[in-house]
Amino acid sequence: MLHLLKIEWLKVKDYKAFWIFIILYLFAILGINYIGYYINEVTVESMPASQVLLGTPYAFPKVWQTVGFMSSWLLYFPGILFIMLLTNEFNFKTHRQNIIDGWTRKDFVTVKFVFALLFSLAATIFNFLVALLFGMITTGSHFSFAGIENIGYVFIQTVAYITFAMFLAILFRKSGAAIAVFFLYGLIFEWLITLLINIKFELSPVGYFLPLQVTDVMLPIPFGDKVIYKGAPEVWIMVLASVVYIGGYYFFALKKFTTEDL
Amino acid sequence: MSILTVENLSKSYGRIQALKNVSFSVPEGTVFGILGPNGSGKTTTLGTITDILKPTSGSYKLFGEPTSAASRRKIGTLLETPNFYHYLSGVKNLEIASEIKQHGKEDIDHVLEMVDLTKRKNSKFSTYSLGMKQRLAIASCLLGSPSVLIFDEPTNGLDPVGIAEIRELMKKLYREGKTIIMASHLLDEVEKVCTDVAILKKGELIVSGKVNEILSNEDMVEVAAKDHTKLVQVLNEMPGKSRIIDEHNVVKVFFAVGKADLSAVHSYCFNNGVVLNHLTLKKQSLEARFFELTNN
Repeated sequence: MLHLLKIEWLKVKDYKAFWIFIILYLFAILGINYIGYYINEVTVESMPASQVLLGTPYAFPKVWQTVGFMSSWLLYFPGILFIMLLTNEFNFKTHRQNIIDGWTRKDFVTVKFVFALLFSLAATIFNFLVALLFGMITTGSHFSFAGIENIGYVFIQTVAYITFAMFLAILFRKSGAAIAVFFLYGLIFEWLITLLINIKFELSPVGYFLPLQVTDVMLPIPFGDKVIYKGAPEVWIMVLASVVYIGGYYFFALKKFTTEDL
Repeated sequence: MSILTVENLSKSYGRIQALKNVSFSVPEGTVFGILGPNGSGKTTTLGTITDILKPTSGSYKLFGEPTSAASRRKIGTLLETPNFYHYLSGVKNLEIASEIKQHGKEDIDHVLEMVDLTKRKNSKFSTYSLGMKQRLAIASCLLGSPSVLIFDEPTNGLDPVGIAEIRELMKKLYREGKTIIMASHLLDEVEKVCTDVAILKKGELIVSGKVNEILSNEDMVEVAAKDHTKLVQVLNEMPGKSRIIDEHNVVKVFFAVGKADLSAVHSYCFNNGVVLNHLTLKKQSLEARFFELTNN
């Protein structure tokens, strides 16, 4: 596996677009959290009473969840990045050449998923550092590991978004189609379906088990109490469901890639 | 020993049958041409062997064993188009290929030199001309000096000088004892480079064997005389010939390979009262033979 990863690394090491994307992504994580932090500060300053409702989102221990929640809006970024990495291979026909040169089809799929795991790990570490930073600069905040499990959820959520995107890329093979479906589904249709299932048909909590929603529920909005995900199942169930999804994407991709013409 | 054996290979794309029960084997140390017009199934055959396409039925063996990633690492393959990362330089692309093939980097400079790409090795692949892309693909095949090479339309996109260079390179590789499997729609290329050939037409194998037996299995003598009618009459009765074709001003007389004897034809005609004013030995035109093979 290390050798496969080394080759995957060679593919991106000198790929400018990849690094620009990553830098933008990291700055965006910092930026979106700064926006949240700043708005919170300003609001509380001008209306001290609002603190009762808002709580102290950027102070320990809440900061782990807040940063996770804020950053989760940016997960479409790495999703697109991985759609790009995969559809590049299809466009350049290097997915064929890798096999011709001596990879197995399984090697090709597996290393991409492992690479996604490592990428998610790095993104999670960055989120941890950002949370640490904002926790430190918030006045009256004292360092605490309480709620650190939220950083674990960030990891699961990142993996889930990226692997879902990769699944779409392998399904459609075209970056345009994969990106369009990824956005429309994630930002509009999944919410719509969740609402329909949970509220219209009163089948809650079934609607929380949709592919992206299931991870969103782990990191609910930190301002105020749980208002959005009413009746959501316990977190460990959501974690389990996410892992099942991630495994499902891998096995689907593997199945498709190993049985079809390339 | 057979390097590659293909048995009853069939491949369908929905209703279209791209390959129909194709069987042939490639002996070691040959330059084996897979010849056929566009759409005859050449790339489909090679794609199947390299595990890019899944056959509908049939089997194939490389080095006497079912193919695997390990056996693919032992062959250099250029399939259809040069497939590289556009945003990487030629040399970086070759680094990836040699890692996958599990060879060191030490070959890279050498193979780039062989295809005359050293000067442009650090330019991005996307800036290469079609011919340079093709040469980089050939360089990639040569990494690790594999004993078997598969080239699908290797001279595609090359200028005449490039074509001559690649053909010379293939001959050199052949002299080094390598087995080369090459698909081409260019008859002339197969005739110039290959020792063996399999001819495909609409997914069916028409014939396979030695090039000099298949592509010129008859000698042809062209003759003419003042008295054309008499000439045809006389030649029709000539022993040893296989057939004649009357072309009004000349007559083509066919013999088995190596059996045409100009002086025998001349004296036979003379002894039968026909004086020839034209007599030449011609092998049948390859093109005519190719059309004959693929049109029937």
